[in-house]
Amino acid sequence: MKKNFVIAFAAAALVALVVFSATAPAQTASPPKAGKDVPRAADGHPDMTGVWQGGSNRIGTWEDTNDGEGPLGQSGPITPFAVTTPQPKPPYQEWAAKKVLESYKMRGIDEPMVRCLPPGVPRTTLMGLFPMQIVQTPKTIVMLFEVFHLFRIIPIDAKHPDDLEPSYMGDSVGHWEGDTLVVDVTGFNDKTWLSGVGTFHSEKLHVVEKFTRVDLNTIAYEDTVEDPDVLTGPWTRHGTIMLRPGTRIREYECVENNQDMKEYEEMMKNPSVFQRK
Amino acid sequence: MKLRLFAILLASIGLLLGTSVPARAHHSFGVEYDVNKPVTLTGVITKIEWTNPHSFVFIDIKDASGKVTNWRFEGYPPTVLYRTGWKRDVTMKAGDEITVYGWQSRVGGPWGHARQITFADGKKLYFGPGPGTGDGGASLPVAVPPSN
Repeated sequence: MKKNFVIAFAAAALVALVVFSATAPAQTASPPKAGKDVPRAADGHPDMTGVWQGGSNRIGTWEDTNDGEGPLGQSGPITPFAVTTPQPKPPYQEWAAKKVLESYKMRGIDEPMVRCLPPGVPRTTLMGLFPMQIVQTPKTIVMLFEVFHLFRIIPIDAKHPDDLEPSYMGDSVGHWEGDTLVVDVTGFNDKTWLSGVGTFHSEKLHVVEKFTRVDLNTIAYEDTVEDPDVLTGPWTRHGTIMLRPGTRIREYECVENNQDMKEYEEMMKNPSVFQRK
Repeated sequence: MKLRLFAILLASIGLLLGTSVPARAHHSFGVEYDVNKPVTLTGVITKIEWTNPHSFVFIDIKDASGKVTNWRFEGYPPTVLYRTGWKRDVTMKAGDEITVYGWQSRVGGPWGHARQITFADGKKLYFGPGPGTGDGGASLPVAVPPSN
């Protein structure tokens, strides 16, 4: 058994190295530019209209790229813009890190998505598995997400409204910097996670996202998260969002038959069954 | 034993990838299911719930003594099943015999998470994601661990 574990772990290390090398985005000092094969809108900006999948670095249709083994379950060729460096973890203040680790210890039983709540920003943008559709016009960019039927409306060169109420997906406004769409997001509630298990935030969350369609298949993505109430400073990550030709957004309505809430309530009667030691 | 090795392999990949693994499921695998309890069971389908946020397939499993137990397996939502090659009411129906490979619940009992289903003709399709999705793996999700 021990020998099997060693063999499996060594094999996993090799696979993880390959996958992770492909998972982290190419990081350059200068802002990325759209390649020659990137379609342009009438106003000259790179046109991101189409169906995409976040949390992936694989080129091809959804069917070709989501049928692999392992937790990622992805297959197919890797984009040349795949990130090659490990991504930093969020720099939580010490008290906040303790709170995150409590959730980690409980394996994310407090996951907001289990209650069918929207995953927020930036988590929704890099959500794996489920496709998203971008509809781009000169004045507004709309992002439609299959997961939980979420949407984002991003007016270009606009200001945030003065009467924002805290919300799951926040309020987005965009502008173009060269070939890059920069989206400023604020007006969040404190009920979503930033990324992994327990990565909570306050209503002071401020997110800046950068989308650059660098080739036909790839949007290079960068997000910078700030939250003075829980983080010690800004947290920046890179990722890729991949074109999914031929895919259409379908209906994923979460609350229809959500058995997990009931199961989780049962599990909470005896947390020692699932808690990390 | 081979399945156990495979399960450890999958779990180890998740461990090594840590928080770099993007969210791919509606909830954590690790709260409800135990990667150390892989199961491969063959039985007859009694019910299929083609529903959100997860689909379920129920199968009757007969043990050596002839006792029948109804197991419930959780899987992808319909949107994902469509794309992975499933057709509602066509690919599998109540009364069909299938083999399910997956992982049992942490509390034991006839309840699990399905990864792959094999049909009578030998065809295989994924019914759910691999383990390690959503619970953060074994990598701490923060840069600054507590001082104590």
